[in-house]
Amino acid sequence: MGLIWQSTEATVTQRICLLRKIKLREHNRYTSINKGVIEDGYSSQGMRYEDIKELRSDRIKVITEDHILLNEIHDELMQSIVEIAVAEVKSELGSPPSRFAFFLMGSAGRFEQSFWSDQDHGIIYEKSNNENANYFIRLGKEISKGLSICDYDLCDGKVMASNPLWCKSIDEWERQVSGWLTEDSWQSLRNISILFDSRVLVGESDFLRVLKDIIFKRLDKEQNIIFRLLDNVGYVKKGIGFFGQLLPETNSKGKGHIHIKEKILFPYVNSVRLLAFKERIYLPSTLSRFNHLTAFYKDMKEYEETFHRILELRLHFQKRLNEDDNVNLISIEALSSNEKKEIKIMMKNGYKLFQKTKGIIQQRG
Amino acid sequence: MDPIYLMNNVFIIVCFTLVLLMQGGFILLEAGSTRMKNAGHIAGKTIFTVGVASIVFWAVGYGFIYGEGNAFIGLSDFFFGDFTSEVDGLAGSTDFMFQLAFAAIALTIAFGGFAERAKLTAYVVFAIAFSAIVYPVVAHWIWGDGWLADLGKQDFAGSTVVHLTGAMAALAATIILKPRIGKFNKDGSPNDLAGHNQVYTALGVLVLWVGWFGFNAGSTLGVDGAFFGYVALNTQLAAAAGAIAAMFIVWALSGKADIPTTLNGALAGLVAITASCAFVAPWAAVVIGVIGGLIVYASMKFFEKMQIDDPIFALSVHGIAGIWGTISTGFFATPELAAMNGGEAGLFYGGGLTQLGVQTIGVVSSGLFAFVLSFIILKVMVTIMGGIRVSEEEELIGLDMAEHGSYGYPENMPTEENKAPGA
Repeated sequence: MGLIWQSTEATVTQRICLLRKIKLREHNRYTSINKGVIEDGYSSQGMRYEDIKELRSDRIKVITEDHILLNEIHDELMQSIVEIAVAEVKSELGSPPSRFAFFLMGSAGRFEQSFWSDQDHGIIYEKSNNENANYFIRLGKEISKGLSICDYDLCDGKVMASNPLWCKSIDEWERQVSGWLTEDSWQSLRNISILFDSRVLVGESDFLRVLKDIIFKRLDKEQNIIFRLLDNVGYVKKGIGFFGQLLPETNSKGKGHIHIKEKILFPYVNSVRLLAFKERIYLPSTLSRFNHLTAFYKDMKEYEETFHRILELRLHFQKRLNEDDNVNLISIEALSSNEKKEIKIMMKNGYKLFQKTKGIIQQRG
Repeated sequence: MDPIYLMNNVFIIVCFTLVLLMQGGFILLEAGSTRMKNAGHIAGKTIFTVGVASIVFWAVGYGFIYGEGNAFIGLSDFFFGDFTSEVDGLAGSTDFMFQLAFAAIALTIAFGGFAERAKLTAYVVFAIAFSAIVYPVVAHWIWGDGWLADLGKQDFAGSTVVHLTGAMAALAATIILKPRIGKFNKDGSPNDLAGHNQVYTALGVLVLWVGWFGFNAGSTLGVDGAFFGYVALNTQLAAAAGAIAAMFIVWALSGKADIPTTLNGALAGLVAITASCAFVAPWAAVVIGVIGGLIVYASMKFFEKMQIDDPIFALSVHGIAGIWGTISTGFFATPELAAMNGGEAGLFYGGGLTQLGVQTIGVVSSGLFAFVLSFIILKVMVTIMGGIRVSEEEELIGLDMAEHGSYGYPENMPTEENKAPGA
């Protein structure tokens, strides 16, 4: 029967190059909005949201299983949308009154978007005053609107720059992050985890680094927080039943379907995020974190490859779907017997990885 | 066949039914005392664990209690089921059923300490362990041919055997599980995690109160002399006195006649009289009930101060009241009733400190045994099962959804999923 997927040398090299590209994005991305200079991509001057929407639909059509290319396309599109939004708000309220950073979270932050995903983003601006607060909320709302027009759905949980919770000055952000860590409730630590999977798309990347530094300093000071972060993701929803069968969703919406994100992806994403907390890794994407972690932990490589394959497979399944379907649900009926086997292996490895992570964290703290 | 023999059996099988119905009382009591998001879970697990207790009790429990063995444990009559046998003037099966009902009650009491945060698998494993070993050993000591029976310990219907044993297991569990999220603040101050339905709780207490006549009166094991009437009388007086005393004390001290406390007072009176119903005069039953009602309130405050979370007040109602009830015969047992039912007269009747001493030994040894063994069992479970408490998120969304896949009150619960990282 052999392996269900093979890792050829060419693919490995390709992956290394693409991983370097992701790193570049995460570390060195600096776009001076005020100067009107954009490092890569094209100038969006004169374009409208509807143009981007069309562009998106065209460019994404060609992707089959290359999730890294897909995310690069998403980045370029989102960046253009932000630029249009900035221009729009500029015409209304003038130039941005202070330096700022627009950052992505969620699957966009982790560079793991599929064909459709929803918005998760925030803004950090430099100076704290009422004028700035109004300006940047307005900007957040405009960006949100633009993204929504271009088929990036609004976030149900309102993790968006249009929400004052996620659009603050540096000082306010620092206080909020510290506050979340001190509050130590399930929701506040969930917010920390959400914030941690972030990267600046447009603007000052240092602003975000400051927030991550606060988290890391607190982890240094208080041993308990890493255990609490572990508790936070402790609910691992089982995808495989007592008899080794795939477990579909029990609610009416998901009947007969597997929730890819919750049951397959999350164990990997959550495990790797926990280890990123532990090893003080700033990078937000699961793949980069994996890459970083292989230096510290053996057998990470195997989990990394499985995760890569999950992302590919997800795109493969989603190609079959319409836009209205829930992109995270795969019908079990539609799966071939080999695909079912593959999914089960992926899930089992995910649980193993989570147990392993649990062991690492509880042992050394 | 002897009509009296037949009447005894009819009486006891009716009493068995009443005690089994008390499980319904517990379902109402516990569901009413906990939150909506766990209602289906609490109710459903009671049914399920009665099932587990029944099978285990049949397999080994009954044999450990009443089988022929030694002072510590019985060793025959496993997998009970000979339709010709006779025990204690009853058909063997009738006696078996009556005893089974008590074992199931003890288990349900024990689970009070698990409420709202234990994994379902923990319930299953502990149900087996408790029904197989913890309960039977104590029951053998006091009701079988055990060493406490030899000493003349008085526990007519099980203040120690059932209530204290269950409560000690609940104590071990609630300590190991640690308090529910939101019960205590970081500075140690407690929060009231209000139950979602006081009507259920009150109805539950009533069903238990009525069922208790099967529990206590049935422990006469027959119609001989119609003594069960007297037992029932004492039972009623203690329950009534407990309810009044508890309502009075909470109203006097806090200014409000708190309903849950009043209900606990009635239960405490019932638990306390459970040991002493066949040994004391009616006026003593009232006193026992009053003291039960008063100390249950003090106990509720005490455990809260000790940062021990007692979700359904099992420790106070069944534990502390159970201890008091057992010891009370050492004070109040009359010579005539002791001669009739076992043991010696109490302190107030010239019996000296003997019976009091025996009662105390019984309480201490049984309580310690139940606590220590339950603690060990649970600790082993923690190691083998990788923890017996559900995850934080599961506890917050409620066990109904997390463990059972659907809410007991689907129309009252939120439908939107939590915001998960990376949506």
